[in-house]
Amino acid sequence: MATCTGWHALNCFSRKSTINLRIIFFFAVFVKMANTKVPEVRDITRIERIGAHSHIRGLGLDDALEPRQVSQGMVGQLASRRAAGLILEMIKDGHIAGRAVLIAGQPGTGKTAIAMGIAQSLGPDTPFTALAGSEIFSLEMSKTEALSQAFRKAIGVRIKEETEIIEGEVVEIQIDRPATGTGTKVGKLTLKTTEMETIYDLGSKMIESLSKEKVQAGDVITIDKATGKISKLGRSFTRARDYDAMGAQTQFVQCPEGELQKRKEVVHTVSLHEIDVINSRTQGFLALFSGDTGEIKSEVREQINAKVSEWREEGKAEIIPGVLFIDEVHMLDIECFSFLNRALESDLSPVLIMATNRGITRIRGTNYQSPHGIPIDMLDRLLIIATSPYTEKETRQILKIRCEEEDVELSEEAHTVLTRIGQETSLRYAIQLISTAGLVCRKRRGTEVQVEDIKRVYSLFLDESRSSQYMKEYQDSFLFNETQSAQMDTS
Amino acid sequence: MVVSRNFCIMAVQCWSDILKTSKKTALICDGKRKIHYLFTDGSEMAEEYDMNTDALVSRRLRSKNNLGGQGQWRTEVGETSHNAMPSVDSDTISENSSNPLFARKDTKSSFRWRVRNISYPMDTYNVSVETAERCCIIRTTNKKYYKKFSIPDLDRCQLPLESSALSYTHANNTLIISYKKPKEILALEQELMRELRKLKGTNDGDVDCKTQ
Repeated sequence: MATCTGWHALNCFSRKSTINLRIIFFFAVFVKMANTKVPEVRDITRIERIGAHSHIRGLGLDDALEPRQVSQGMVGQLASRRAAGLILEMIKDGHIAGRAVLIAGQPGTGKTAIAMGIAQSLGPDTPFTALAGSEIFSLEMSKTEALSQAFRKAIGVRIKEETEIIEGEVVEIQIDRPATGTGTKVGKLTLKTTEMETIYDLGSKMIESLSKEKVQAGDVITIDKATGKISKLGRSFTRARDYDAMGAQTQFVQCPEGELQKRKEVVHTVSLHEIDVINSRTQGFLALFSGDTGEIKSEVREQINAKVSEWREEGKAEIIPGVLFIDEVHMLDIECFSFLNRALESDLSPVLIMATNRGITRIRGTNYQSPHGIPIDMLDRLLIIATSPYTEKETRQILKIRCEEEDVELSEEAHTVLTRIGQETSLRYAIQLISTAGLVCRKRRGTEVQVEDIKRVYSLFLDESRSSQYMKEYQDSFLFNETQSAQMDTS
Repeated sequence: MVVSRNFCIMAVQCWSDILKTSKKTALICDGKRKIHYLFTDGSEMAEEYDMNTDALVSRRLRSKNNLGGQGQWRTEVGETSHNAMPSVDSDTISENSSNPLFARKDTKSSFRWRVRNISYPMDTYNVSVETAERCCIIRTTNKKYYKKFSIPDLDRCQLPLESSALSYTHANNTLIISYKKPKEILALEQELMRELRKLKGTNDGDVDCKTQ
């Protein structure tokens, strides 16, 4: 067993990090030793993937709710963003229940981006539940049950609860790594207060989160015993005289007193759905036969509603209405819409945001045509926000933001060509080309994506219209080409 | 003084009334009389008495938590169901086996706590009664061990804590703390024992617990 102390050791052994990053890291440690000021050691423990909307950090509005042209990853769509900002204020206010908003627009005009922007600006405490319209169709659960669960997931209840925490100053962290290099890591953590000292055994998950939080000897930390969440309170005053490289933001705190394990009241937010699940579990051996999920009886829901409103009157709990976002809402059928009509009337319903890219089309489950595939009576309850296609300038700006997000450098001409492609084919296609062109560029050891790289990927990957063109020309040589009559039902 | 005496008797009465109104299920197995109490507020208590000596072996309590879910069993008397070999591959944090273990084990005449696996000399310890906070505190001069504990039996009956009733010794790596039971408690326990004997206990292990 190789034994090491401190989080430096932890990170060195982290097999997830690439060789490249490891070199950066060792270099950083070296600089730290030389006691010069380091701007920031690159965080190697954070591995995030880049999603389609990971550049969105908010709605990009100023304090007067006026949209800025380019802000927080949002570009253009000024009117719809301003409208979304007003809806956001209404949600934050929390008094209005059961309003519904529809975001309608052509594909690739930023409908989901606006919803994501709302979610980001709401902050972590307001529940935001997102689902796609087709998610509610399941064999295990009825459509209305799935919808009511989604509704209740979007209502939060802030409540005080007692939890057991461990609070103390770190004396020593010791991580044992199996000599073979594989297998689970085990470790010991010694914590102390002014009165006592205790040694704890650490599991692999705890070791990981200790290294993620960069906990070292001399830090004062709290550990939530039930969830294993670690938070750093600061450094102990007794370590204030250590000549160690530390940032200006390091806080010094007193070593805690008394017992290491304490019961503390914490405020946390749970959704109504979670309370339902806790209370619906049948006791004893019956729990074996009924699974954890499945349908929740309406009596249980009624009881919970009564209990929650009782808590609210007593001042024990606070209700935080959140947002339910249903993407591709045209996939819902007539039964779901009539259920939504009714559900929106309840005073315990969240703000409902829906998005669709359909025009006048058939309502699922009927033979009637209706705008957006939504019945007229439902449409009448909605505030509708329209998104419009992006202009050339805006497309250019979005592509620039995406390049930054994906860490690809684009030359001026390549940027112009890509913007052109985005305008003539689709924005999504142009965004797809960024990462592929970036790879082509890296393979030829270039640093900046040139027009040739774009041309190359443009010839390699067909966009939608060129692919359709190709199909029209060569459909005779494809399989099953004679069954032209069977059209796909997408409405 | 008379008033406070009367008040004490009333409080003792109160707890014994709660015990009386609770639904009780008795079960005899492994030479132990096991009693399950279900109180009117939904919380539960499980006690185990030795059949030969009538000594309380274990007492656990559980109550519904805020959100309506079932809480964890809290051990008040007896060993915590701490497996001797904590699994190495557990993901979370747990106390190392080298730490002192704290458990309560009563005798007929006194409440008694044992701190096992603690090897400092006798003069290290300082056990005191904090009357204001209604608890006892174990301190060590070398700042290695500290424990604050209350006596729930006295709290339930709202009896005062007295320093004179407390004593402690250390032998065989174990610190033993005793607190002499006041006579109200002794009377209550005798009465309870009489009641429990009357309960019809089944000898079978598999039995429907009608209070659940």
